[in-house]
This record gives sequence, C-alpha cells and structure tokens, in this order.
Amino acid sequence: MSHTVLICDDAIFMRTMVGDILSQAGFEVVGEAETGLQAVEKYRQLKPDLVTMDIVMPDMGGIDAVREICKLDPAARILMCSAMGQQALVVEAIQAGAKDFVVKPFQPSRVLEAVQRVLG
Amino acid sequence: MDASQYADLFLTESREHVSAMNQWLLQLERDGAAGSAEPISAIFRAVHTVKGMSATMGYVVVAELSHELETLLDRVRRGELPVNGELMDLLFRSADVLESAIEGAVAGRDVSTTEVLRRLRAFAEPGVNVASDRSTGSDDASPNEWTAPAPVGSGTLVRIRLAPETPLKGVRAFLIVQALRRVGDVVIVVPPVASLQAEQFGHDFALRIVTTSSEAEIERGTRGAGDVASVRVGEDDAQKMGQAPSVAEARRAPSPAPATLPSDDASAPAAPIGDLRDEIMTSRMVPVWQVFDRFPRLVRDASRSLGKRIEFTIEGKDIELDRSMLDEIGDPIVHLLRNAIDHGIEAPEERTAAGKAPAGRLKLSAARDRSAVVIRVSDDGRGIDRDRVLARAKVSGLVDSTKAALNDEELLRLIARPGFSTAERITDLSGRGVGIDAVYTRVRALGGAVDIRSQPGQGTTATLRLPLTLAIVRALLARAANEVYAIPLTHVSETVELQAAALRTLQGSEVIVLRADVLPVLRLRDLVGLERRDCAAGARSDRRSRPASTDRARCPSPRW
Repeated sequence: MSHTVLICDDAIFMRTMVGDILSQAGFEVVGEAETGLQAVEKYRQLKPDLVTMDIVMPDMGGIDAVREICKLDPAARILMCSAMGQQALVVEAIQAGAKDFVVKPFQPSRVLEAVQRVLG
Repeated sequence: MDASQYADLFLTESREHVSAMNQWLLQLERDGAAGSAEPISAIFRAVHTVKGMSATMGYVVVAELSHELETLLDRVRRGELPVNGELMDLLFRSADVLESAIEGAVAGRDVSTTEVLRRLRAFAEPGVNVASDRSTGSDDASPNEWTAPAPVGSGTLVRIRLAPETPLKGVRAFLIVQALRRVGDVVIVVPPVASLQAEQFGHDFALRIVTTSSEAEIERGTRGAGDVASVRVGEDDAQKMGQAPSVAEARRAPSPAPATLPSDDASAPAAPIGDLRDEIMTSRMVPVWQVFDRFPRLVRDASRSLGKRIEFTIEGKDIELDRSMLDEIGDPIVHLLRNAIDHGIEAPEERTAAGKAPAGRLKLSAARDRSAVVIRVSDDGRGIDRDRVLARAKVSGLVDSTKAALNDEELLRLIARPGFSTAERITDLSGRGVGIDAVYTRVRALGGAVDIRSQPGQGTTATLRLPLTLAIVRALLARAANEVYAIPLTHVSETVELQAAALRTLQGSEVIVLRADVLPVLRLRDLVGLERRDCAAGARSDRRSRPASTDRARCPSPRW
C-alpha cells in the first residue's frame, strides 16, 4: 500500500511540484493545505503517513502547525520545506517535532531521500 | 528536473503575489509606520513565496532580487530598519522590478536588477552586514581534513563530516546531534551546538557520546540523519589525522536513487495530464480582482505624477469572468482609468474652485447582469468637452457644420470612431490619447458593448458590457462539403443572398457588386482548403446560411 501524503504550502506552484515529485514516486497525495490552520484540520481528518510543511504560511505558520499536529499525534511524520536562510526556523520546527527538512529549490532526489528518512 | 512545464503556474501565481505586494504597499503607505506590522508580514510572505518558486524554476535573477528584498523586509519586520518614505519608494520600485524580472524570466529575457539590488543593499547597510561574516568560516579548508578539535571528556568520540553541498548545514548538524541523542547521551559537541546552528563551522564537527550501543549503531544513527559524507567513531589515531581520507572512510555514494525516482523520461507520460490541466486552467472562470488588484497602484502612480488627488474605489472584485476575457479586458480598463485621471479629474485647485472636494472620486466596479458582466469606470471630473469634440468633428467633416450640440449617442459614436481619438492625440484635449476607439474595438471583438455617458462638470461614466465567457459564442453556421463551420457573429457584418447570376469575374477572380462596391468572393471550401469535389451540392449549401447560437465555437454541433 502506498504511503499517504498531506502537502501544506500556500503556493499552488509548490504544492503542485511537491505533489508531482511524490506521486511520481508512488506516494498518494490525499490532501493539500494552504494555511497552518488547514494543515492541522486536514491532518486530523486524513491522518496521512507523511506531511510536507512549508514554514511561511498565512493563518498559523508551519512551525505552529507542527506543534499542533504533534499534540494530536506525537508520532506524526512531518517534513519541513524551507528556503535558504531559514536555519533558525527549521531548527525551531525540528524542536517542535518535525523529522527532517528539504531546502528550496527542490530536487526530486533530495526530497525523496528526506522522505525516506522521515518514513524510515 | 524539467521545470518548464510549471512556467505558466509560476507566472500566474507570481503575478498574484506581486499584485498582493502592491496592495499591501498601498495600505502601508496609507497607514504609515504605526500599522506596519501586518502589511510588512504580508509583503514578506509574498516575496518569500516568489523566492522559493523562482529558485525552483532556476530563475536566478528573480530569486536573487526576492532574496535581497526578503532580507530587507525581515529586518524591517524586526524593527531594525525604519518604515519611511525612502523605504516606501524603494519597495514600490522593487515591486515593479520584481514584476518585470518575473515576466522576463519566463519569457527568457534578462532584466537588469543591478540598480534596485544596490539600493536594497544600501538601505540595509547601516546594520550588520550579514553576508560578510561568511568568510570567517573554515570553508577554505580542504573538505578532506578533520578540522574540529577532538573534545576532551568521557564517552566515545564521533567525528562527522557533511557532504560539501549540504543545504542548511547548520540545521543538518543539529538534526544529526538530535539523532545521536536518541542513541545515547551526547555530552559535548565541538563546535558547540549554537555555533553549528549558526553555520559557524566548516564541514565537520565532533562530539562525544556515552552509550551502550555499538560503534556500528552510532554510525548508522548518524548517517540516518542525512547528508553525512563520512563518520568516524572512535579515538583519533594520531597518524591518520590530517591525512587524505582512507578508503575505509567510505564516502557516502551520491544519492542512492529509489527505483521510483522520477527521471526526465518520467515527465513524458505525464505531459498529457499537464496539457489537460492547462486546458482546464485556461477555460476556468476567474475573479476580476486578478486584474483589478493592480489598478490601485496604477492610479496612485498616475495621480501622483500629475499632482492630482484621487480616491479610488473598487467594487465587485469577486465577480468572475472567463480567464481569456479577463486577460483581454485589462488594457481597455487601463485606457479608461488613465482617461479619467489624465483628463476627467481636475487638479485639486480647479476642483476647489468648482465647489468640489479637492480629491476626485474614481470608481471601478464589476457586476453581474443576467448572462453579462458589466464593468463600469466612473469619475466625478469635468466630463468630456463636447464643444471640442464637436469642433473637431466639424473640421473632419463628420458632422454638419451647422450642428449646435451633441447628444450622448452622437458623442459616443464620434469618439469611438477609429482614428478620431487618434487624431486627438496631437491636441491637448487628450494628451496621451483618449484611445476610446481602441477600447471600443477591443470590447466589440469580445462580443461586448461600450457605453459612455458624460455630464459637463459632473463626470464621465464608461460602461463595458461583456459576455460572461468566450466559450459561448454566437456564430453563423455555414456548411461546405458536409462540414459545418461556425463564424463568430462579431466578425460578420452582413449576410447577403446571392444569385449565381450576380457573380462576375474580374481579372480571374470572382466578384460581386454590392450596392456601389465591388467585393471579392471567396468560397468557404477554398478558404478552409477542402477539395473541390462534390461541387454541385457544395455550391448550393455554400450560400445557405443562417445565424445561430452554438455552445463552444470550437466544437460546433453539426445538427441544424
């Protein structure tokens, strides 16, 4: 059975690209969220195997969303999607419970490696 | 990976972000420093998103500009830089350059950003120069040497070197330390974790761990955290220090590709789906704000440059129009807004003298009216100068020289006349050119109608009435050799029933005489390149035609 993924990013562009990378690798994208609030809500509904989480989003950023999701499910597997120059935020996200991170610009191989680590 | 298939998506979304940026800039300018927190964060988010997208697309110029802009905004957000007039000018300018850099990147053009980059850096200059402390790291050291001093203490020594291209290596180092904390007790890290996080290290670091796990487990735990080039568990052997890495040091092989890794080939079967998505996207209905949202900025700039004060309001932003229609309608609206600003709304002194508020009112609205969308641009300015239009019309011989006044219909007919407003360009009546004829032509081509009402001293209202969508076109159906063709009615000026006897031949071509004009006759069959067989039947049906309405001109129903 393929792993289910929830993709959280406020940019359709990023959601599409991450979604394409993951679905081409055999993952099943079960949901997308544009805001942190949506991310938490969709996590609750969908209970995905993996969450990709943008850091900067309106209505609750990615880090707070990680915190909330980990409260719901301490075993949640969350991969942070970050831009260059956000080290402090990524560290915060990991302290909040995220398992790994990838840095934009995304290379499919890197995204998939990180996903393997998170799921492994 | 091939990012080109995402270019349209990138463009659409980036435009929206630049537009949002402009909206927030206007609010920031209006509310000043006191209310700056929300606009600055919103602008930061927009720029940040553009940065991520452009970097992914490999649009380095856009990525670099948005990165600088983001750096500056981050410092403004943290209160390290002031929100003042200089900043506003710089941000407005940056938004413009960013927009052209985005358009340029997608079109494959280079747009120079040097000037604005220099200004962005100069504005941020007074504070710490973030970029300059990069050189203090030990990046110069050969990546093949262990550079971190071995920490003294109990526990097993672990040396870790990251892959040279590791992104956010500070965070990666932190993740590795975290991973090892699950293996045992990490008692000391060199450089300290805080320095690691701040990327103040070369490529390697060292730590000591107290654990019951085996060396192999420690190594596995380390590598599991990713981006590890090499790990050495155990005390340094003095002889090995400073040597080239031994074979045993097993550099991590370049990313072991999972079997399902999408290669370039994999994008080929995905293409039809991409096409389908594009198809859906191009035909979808979109809210007019996607175009309207750039107008406040335009009005601001234009009114400022003319020294006018204008209160601009937009209504009905959520009304939806066919995307292709919306793309077409932007320019005509710009024409109308510019007209209102340039010629309609008076300077503050003139308004005050006329007993009006010093700030002119300009309104753009969209509304649904049955199956049409009505877009209206209205101002409370001086109105179109009918006397001058009349005078010009008399000079051009368009109206009788004895005519005393123009009513609304006559006025509209005159200014919508192709060439009439063009002729006006050279006069001061219209300055940059009224362009009403251009508006009229464009709107008509879209199957819409234009109406302009103007009251001297009270203002002008231009109304554009547009069909909801271009996907439904009223068309003239014509059959040639058993194929049915739909000709959009907007391109049909008249239909005439022809008798075969009326055909003449002139210099080898078929012509007819219609009223006083000689018109060439073109046979549909020839125009669309059908073979000329089945002539007798074809000739009859050629001439038979009737107006009809059909869903989607692209796939006309052959039944009628």
